[in-house]
Amino acid sequence: MAEQHNNQRDNQEVDEAVTMINVNKWFDDFHVLKNINLDVGNREKVVVCGPSGSGKSTLIRCICKLEDHQKGTINVLGTELNDDVANIDEIRREVGMVFQQFNLFPHMTVLENCTLAQMLVRKKSRKEAEAVAMQFLEKVRIPEQAVKYPGELSGGQQQRVAIARSLCMNPKIMLFDEPTSALDPEMISEVLDVMVALAEEGMTMVCVTHEMGFARRVADRVIFMDQGEIVEQNSPQEFFDNPVNERTQLFLSQILQH
Amino acid sequence: MSETAYPAPPQTPFATSVRKSLFSSPLDCLVTVVCAVLLCLLLYHLVDWAFLSSIWTEEDEPLCKEASGACWSVIDARHRIIFFGLFPFEEHWRSTVACIVMIATIVASCVPWFWSGLKLSVLWITGFAIFYLLMHGGLFGLSVITPERWGGLALTIFIFAAVSLIGMPLSIVLALGRRSRLPVIARLVGLFIDFFRSLPLLTILFTAAVITPFLLPGWLQGDKLYRVIVGFAIFFAAYQAENIRAGLQAIPAGQDEAGKTLGLNYMQRVTRIQLPQAFRNSLPAIVNQFVITFKETSIVTIVGFFEILASGSAAFGTGKWTHHYIEVYVFIGLIYFIFVFSLSRYGAYLEKKLRVGHG
Ligand SMILES: Nc1ncnc2c1ncn2[C@@H]1O[C@H](COP(=O)(O)OP(=O)(O)OP(=O)(O)O)[C@@H](O)[C@H]1O
Ligand SMILES: [Mg+2]
Repeated sequence: MAEQHNNQRDNQEVDEAVTMINVNKWFDDFHVLKNINLDVGNREKVVVCGPSGSGKSTLIRCICKLEDHQKGTINVLGTELNDDVANIDEIRREVGMVFQQFNLFPHMTVLENCTLAQMLVRKKSRKEAEAVAMQFLEKVRIPEQAVKYPGELSGGQQQRVAIARSLCMNPKIMLFDEPTSALDPEMISEVLDVMVALAEEGMTMVCVTHEMGFARRVADRVIFMDQGEIVEQNSPQEFFDNPVNERTQLFLSQILQH
Repeated sequence: MSETAYPAPPQTPFATSVRKSLFSSPLDCLVTVVCAVLLCLLLYHLVDWAFLSSIWTEEDEPLCKEASGACWSVIDARHRIIFFGLFPFEEHWRSTVACIVMIATIVASCVPWFWSGLKLSVLWITGFAIFYLLMHGGLFGLSVITPERWGGLALTIFIFAAVSLIGMPLSIVLALGRRSRLPVIARLVGLFIDFFRSLPLLTILFTAAVITPFLLPGWLQGDKLYRVIVGFAIFFAAYQAENIRAGLQAIPAGQDEAGKTLGLNYMQRVTRIQLPQAFRNSLPAIVNQFVITFKETSIVTIVGFFEILASGSAAFGTGKWTHHYIEVYVFIGLIYFIFVFSLSRYGAYLEKKLRVGHG
């Protein structure tokens, strides 16, 4: 198993992995996030959905501080996100993110992609880091691709490497931004399978996706966003079967048509 | 993946492709034959001039008047001036060894094994220290030879190496600075780059050599050679920074974001993610800048340094050799060619190496 790193936050068990209170964000004059209030508990899996441009990506990018928010507070693992650099780097180490476009480093092999941050950030030796990397590559079922470059892999394989790369850092929270929407249909399930396995192990997950089957299967809660607001949130059962808000109903009827 | 694999279609044989592209119609045949004959004639004259009808030794110089070929006697007689300029005759071995050391340093730093901050620093500091010790002397019983008397190939190589060494890190800093998130820094760096790019190199070197002594306090002036090198390096960096910036610009924003979410800090993202990709993206332009710089080292003659081209002019500048400038220029051209061609080949090798896995 990977070595447990010592972190002061390990001791003080916090109930909430993420707490967002009255978060507002603007891109210049454009109000992208409007009074967002969201708690994500430890080990909770939250699926975020909503029409294009509703601010889903922006929301989860705020959690790992790829975007700054202008009003309100965001707490991640008991630490408030502010402009303090040390604290941002520290939080980013505990939060993994998987992107729609994979964003693997094209100039490094799969294995190097997975060991880079372990060695630089966690200060592990190359040997240790490679052992951890191989363990997670096995978990996403592509250990045999370790010496290849990302450009030589299919989209589904690349996304699984991206997930393994994040997991190598032993994150406490995993964020997914439409991890399957850049994939050909036949590759979607191989990535979703990995995510389901991860969810079953108890990882805290916030996942932007329109894969409703996945949401039904693993989500504790589904959140619907529209025009920068959280319009509705509920258990998947209730959310899909008895949507309350008419915008939700409209959205669901649209995606279920396909 | 399909189950059955078909063999790749056979490649067109060389002979067939030649026939197709050169002899597919009567007119094609005519053009091909005429061009081939002209080429052969030209080649014959060149070989005849350079090898068959040429005179090779200094003693045979009187025969040059009669001969229809090149008079290489001038090289035989004056090659020391070309290679060493005004460097004292008895000390030429020092310049030779220094030159070899500097070339070895450059070649070694092209080998991927040396590509780490520590190894490169050790390599370059050692290389320059040995070069300086040999050229300048003053230790271990070597007589002192000041930079005004350095010259020829050693000077050309030294200027090129020093300009690259100062210019490369500077260009990286400038490229990153111009993309800074702080508008003040980005503007200032942009202004700096555009200012130096808009000045002719000649002006910069002249300013460095002649005008800065009036502006700088004595202890900051250094030798004229070093001022010229610094000026040259700034000029080089201004251009190279734009090449590197173009390479950085082409990297998708997601790369940096992926680095951030893995917890890498700014320096780690720059050195491990951004720069390697930026170099790969704009390698042809970056190599090109080195090639241009190597050739532009000849400009330093106008501020009074006898690099190889100026030493060459000195070689045919006296007495009986005045008619043989063509041979001297061909010879110097060959030397430039060896260096510049090696540089380009190395660039091509790097491009291939860095393209691994990018299709
Ligand atoms: N860097 C930016 N600058 C200005 N506007 C932006 C920026 N990023 C996003 N936006 C705008 O903010 C809004 C929300 O964007 P966001 O990417 O969060 O939407 P989304 O819900 O993820 O949509 P999609 O389903 O298409 O990914 C969009 O209208 C988008 O145009
Ligand atoms: Mg999005």
